[in-house]
Amino acid sequence: MKSASDASLRLVLIGGSSGSFTIFEDILKMLTGPLSFSMIFVLHRGKKSSASLPDLFKSKTQVPMKEPYHLEPIETNHIYFAFPDYHLLIGPDRHFYYDCSGKDFFSRPSIDATFISAAVSGIPVKAAMLFSGSSADGASGMKLLEEKGFPTYVQDPAFAESRRMPDEALAICDRHQVLRKKNYLKEINDILFY
Amino acid sequence: MITIEYSDLELLIVRIRETSGFDFSGYARPSLLRRASRYLTNKSLDLSGLLFHIEQGGKEVYDLIQELTVNYSEMFRDPDFFIALRSEVFSYLESYPAIRVWVAGCASGEEAFSMAVLLREAGFSDKSLIYATDLNNKVLSAAREGVFTLSNVKTFSENYLLAAGRYSFSDYYHVAYDKAFISPELRKNIVFSLHDLTGDGVFNEFQLVSCRNVMIYFTVEQRQRVFRLLYNSLSIFGFLCLGKRETLRYSGVEENFRIIDKKLNIYQKIK
Repeated sequence: MKSASDASLRLVLIGGSSGSFTIFEDILKMLTGPLSFSMIFVLHRGKKSSASLPDLFKSKTQVPMKEPYHLEPIETNHIYFAFPDYHLLIGPDRHFYYDCSGKDFFSRPSIDATFISAAVSGIPVKAAMLFSGSSADGASGMKLLEEKGFPTYVQDPAFAESRRMPDEALAICDRHQVLRKKNYLKEINDILFY
Repeated sequence: MITIEYSDLELLIVRIRETSGFDFSGYARPSLLRRASRYLTNKSLDLSGLLFHIEQGGKEVYDLIQELTVNYSEMFRDPDFFIALRSEVFSYLESYPAIRVWVAGCASGEEAFSMAVLLREAGFSDKSLIYATDLNNKVLSAAREGVFTLSNVKTFSENYLLAAGRYSFSDYYHVAYDKAFISPELRKNIVFSLHDLTGDGVFNEFQLVSCRNVMIYFTVEQRQRVFRLLYNSLSIFGFLCLGKRETLRYSGVEENFRIIDKKLNIYQKIK
């Protein structure tokens, strides 16, 4: 049957859309040593985007990066990217699941799909972060994660390249912590490693 | 956004089974949970409201089953898959006097029509027949009609070009009343019929089975049973096609196939 899964698994969820790509690069550059968690990136991508993000980002970090397969176990010290044209779901059995149902806010992968599945999975979420983007995707997922008691962080809309995404998240839940522009990478570093 | 928990989902699965006889117990929970939550959100219902409607014998249960079983598809989805099919599989098919293709879980027919185009352009239309099946009667009747919106067709045309189609995609449909009708020439090579992968058995022997992005909806146990069914439905040296993010891992039939294309998930039955 399925391979044994990691009972001590903790997740770090990162979502973003237009204006988030360089932030993702900056975050990846910070990940120099082995991670005590599994990091999952959901970046809105067109279905025709054929570039593999693990290839694109491979000079940024030594941590193993993957676009996972359906039923692949979620592992600590791995970085995962959602694949274009599918929703990436996190199963309570600590495996990835794919779904091809309708788009959320014209997006597949959608950030909400991944974040909501993580929130109800029973797997601890160490941190969830939402960055620049021009739709309301991610807001519902972030709200649910916050309600479940997980730490949630939103980029300061004033400094986001597209402020709609962080704005929408804060509009439906004002309890997210806001990452202020100045030294926000240091802030992220502290969240992940302390 | 309304989100239900896994315990609610189990309750819903029981209620649906009691009311309609439709059994979702073999379906992957993460995807069902997402779809059920979406259904509630779109209908502005909460779980207790939905359960109440279902118990009252309302039509909601059929709407819900529809939402939980319908898959999104498009013609020539993953154009690189069709290029690989043409270059790596069709040379084998050429040697057969008759080619039977099964599109398992065909939804509104997009994959079946794409196969029909591909077989036709390879010169196989006189010796090939496509069986396209789904468990959902509503999508099957849509498939039989072969009617799509013009915006669907725009996407299909773009995919067709990327899939290195030989002609113009507009040869395969005509437009009337702002809709696109798939050409009868293509439709006559396709038999659409009702078949539930989780309950029905083998009904023919095929040289090619396409079951892309369908297996992701089943539990690991159910998935193994469906893989066994597909395996038993394939002739020796027949081909099996899965979706891009799927694998034969945990299928129980890994040993019986060789990989034709790892990236695009094309396999050949070798024993």
